Amino acid sequence: MDPCAVKPEGRGHRAVEPALRTAFSEQHDPESAARELAEALASPELGFVLFFCSAEYALDDLGSAMREAFSGVELAGCTTAGEITPKGYCRGCIVAIGFGRRRFSLSCALIDDLAAFDLIQAQRLIGGLLENCRSLASGDHVGNRFVMTLLDGLSSSEEEVLATLDTALGSIPSFGGSAGDDNRLAHTHVFFDGRFHSDAAVVVMFHTPLPFEVFTAHHLRPQAMKLVVTRADTERRRVLELNAAPAAEEYARLVGMSLEALTPDIFARHPLAVRIGEHHYVRSIQRVNDDGSLSFYCAVENGIVLTAMRPAPLLDELESVLAGLRQRLGEPALILGCDCFLRRLELESLGQVAEASRLVGRAGVIGFNTYGEQYHGMHLNQTFTGVAIGSLPPT
Amino acid sequence: MACTSIRPSPGSPLDLSRPPEAAGSPEERALALEQENLRLRRICASLIERVEAGSTVGGAPYAAFEHTVLLAEQVRERTEALQQTLLELHQAKAEAEAANHSKTRFLAAVSHDLLQPLNAARLFTCALEEHDLPDPSRRLVGNVARSLKDVEALLGTLVDISRLDAGLLKPDKAPFRANELLDVLAEEYRQMASVCGLTLRYVASQEMIESDLALLARVVRNFLSNAIRYTQQGRILLGCRHRPGGLEIVVGDTGPGIEEAHQQAIFQEFRRLGNSVDERDRGLGLGLAIVDRISAMLEHPLRLVSRPGHGALFSILVPYAGATRVAANRAEPKPRYDSAAPSIGGTVWVIDNDRAIREGMEALLCGWGCRVVTAASLGEIDGQGRESPPDILLIDYHLSDMACAEDGIAVAVKLRQRCPGLPVVLITANHDAALKVRARREGFDCLLKPLKPLRLRMLLLQRLASVRAERG
Repeated sequence: MDPCAVKPEGRGHRAVEPALRTAFSEQHDPESAARELAEALASPELGFVLFFCSAEYALDDLGSAMREAFSGVELAGCTTAGEITPKGYCRGCIVAIGFGRRRFSLSCALIDDLAAFDLIQAQRLIGGLLENCRSLASGDHVGNRFVMTLLDGLSSSEEEVLATLDTALGSIPSFGGSAGDDNRLAHTHVFFDGRFHSDAAVVVMFHTPLPFEVFTAHHLRPQAMKLVVTRADTERRRVLELNAAPAAEEYARLVGMSLEALTPDIFARHPLAVRIGEHHYVRSIQRVNDDGSLSFYCAVENGIVLTAMRPAPLLDELESVLAGLRQRLGEPALILGCDCFLRRLELESLGQVAEASRLVGRAGVIGFNTYGEQYHGMHLNQTFTGVAIGSLPPT
Repeated sequence: MACTSIRPSPGSPLDLSRPPEAAGSPEERALALEQENLRLRRICASLIERVEAGSTVGGAPYAAFEHTVLLAEQVRERTEALQQTLLELHQAKAEAEAANHSKTRFLAAVSHDLLQPLNAARLFTCALEEHDLPDPSRRLVGNVARSLKDVEALLGTLVDISRLDAGLLKPDKAPFRANELLDVLAEEYRQMASVCGLTLRYVASQEMIESDLALLARVVRNFLSNAIRYTQQGRILLGCRHRPGGLEIVVGDTGPGIEEAHQQAIFQEFRRLGNSVDERDRGLGLGLAIVDRISAMLEHPLRLVSRPGHGALFSILVPYAGATRVAANRAEPKPRYDSAAPSIGGTVWVIDNDRAIREGMEALLCGWGCRVVTAASLGEIDGQGRESPPDILLIDYHLSDMACAEDGIAVAVKLRQRCPGLPVVLITANHDAALKVRARREGFDCLLKPLKPLRLRMLLLQRLASVRAERG
């Protein structure tokens, strides 16, 4: 076994019993990978493990291996379209964060029927999480809560589930990411109670005395061009026509390419967004369908106006976001990041992955590349969304 | 499908912001415009459909998204407005606090300067009272002493209220038994009550409570003196009630009572009800205002129950002491002083940089039969005190002037290195709790200016007695 393959994160090791440990493994065999993570995260303090894994793993085996390696510790996680490890951007591996009991009370629940999820269930679910967090927290455990959601990224029900959940959450801040499957768009999974689930969502509530900030950021700027959706298949998230012309053709004209050249890489560099109030919200294109329609990663509807967007330099934006978080919270102990896989594609096509890895590695970002992000109940695309957790409780 | 028959221009998407460029024959242009017209009509129809649907809550998924965004936007705007308001409030508060602070500093400085000569005058009159004086002179001296005491009380009250307002007075909470405080007060006020023809009934309690003894004493004193002031006949009650939230210390009277409408107002500054029994009473009406501030600071709730014609009942709720801490006996010894008391004796060293105070002290202490060595600094006393080593040291905290850069505590610590176990009494006009804590840590006693001769005498007796006991 290569001892360098598992790198417990350096900053966590300064304290006697760190509140957080992070580890990752590039082993392809589920059992070895799970064992490596368990060895790196082992601590009497360990109360909860969050992990993000490539969809390339044999998921049934990985599920049971993780369950066995972390027996007695609660686990939650999801599959990804790429992992963000202490070393930066990776593929085909598994990354995990161990939360210590002293600083963190975590509680999680599963929504297994996304279509039927209503407000009553949401209130019951959030009530249960709050109760659980409270019972885990020791008497003098003061602090605040936030929620992370991990959704099946191909379920097509993010908007409604999130709106319902957000209503039940009230003022508790929330963020999250949609699970990915390495750009295959076939099956995405979330992990709860020892096994992987699809068409489901995991809701994780954090309670901590450490300061934190839930954030979202993107680097895309609006252009003059507007496209109006004139025909849509709401249920399948498909836009059939833009400006009363076949959607794919009109989009191809917008970006000045042939239909055949429309790949996720182009979608990443020529995004479309809806404007609500003063802000633009990117609605990412998933693929071109044979019938000339475009599938989206989010809800679409007839009559919505899409604004053409162009990216500003991603690395500059990323650097300033991370600097802002550091300025407000001090050196973060952890940034739990949900980074849209389209951003990753952009970095790859511009040859900037190494530079971005250096930035996120230095800032302590752990997370994954998503098929959509969630922020305060909003389903977003092509953003970097997450929570930054400070190292010291506010005095 | 209708749309498939439309052939948009191959080069660029439909630009909704400007008309297409004219090209080709008139027929071709007419066809292009017709096609564009058709598309625009379809776009129009889609937009109309969308606008008319509105963002119906609980409708289509996109509507759910839009609704959430609008909600988040609203929350963000309100949060920003709130933060802006908070920021402005914060600034306004900081400015007000700064102004208040400088006022308080000024007042503290003025009162400190006033307290010094006042302190000296009190010591001189006390010393004078010890002398054998003809009766008319004794009465005059008594009047002088009372007037000085009034000035001192007024000054003290003004300083306290400004300090309380500025948040400078920090409570020093410790556990003690309720009767340690109340026995003394009951005894003191029983005599005052009987002078006014009232009886005081006292119900003692051994309950351990946690509070700042001195501040709590001020509150109860204030209740008691008000009760005596406003009650023409009948009884005063001092007692305790066990409540779930703490021990309620109650002072009741059979006075005229307070109308509901006035019950709030009496806790404000300079408010008095016009029915004081004692015509000579010269108070400023600050008493209950101070009580109100102290209660807020100690977080001990106040209660007032009263009906006109049926007396009044003031109370303060003091939390029970935590079970873990056991109190040392913090009871102030009952100051019972009469002029026939035996002399104290012993050698007292006094270090104070104010000559008038030194002389006043010397007069007072000599009257109590002590040997006194006074000096302005440690250097000076080393020269003078060689003959008679000290049994106890009285030292002013505020020594720092040209002659001496150190404060009283530092000097006392030095002296104590030479005379181990030497009792030290620190005298200061500085009411800072941190100073008290510092003194206590060194094992020093602390007396506040203006000095109460009675209290000084009790302390000297106590400390000298233990020194003698140690020496066998």
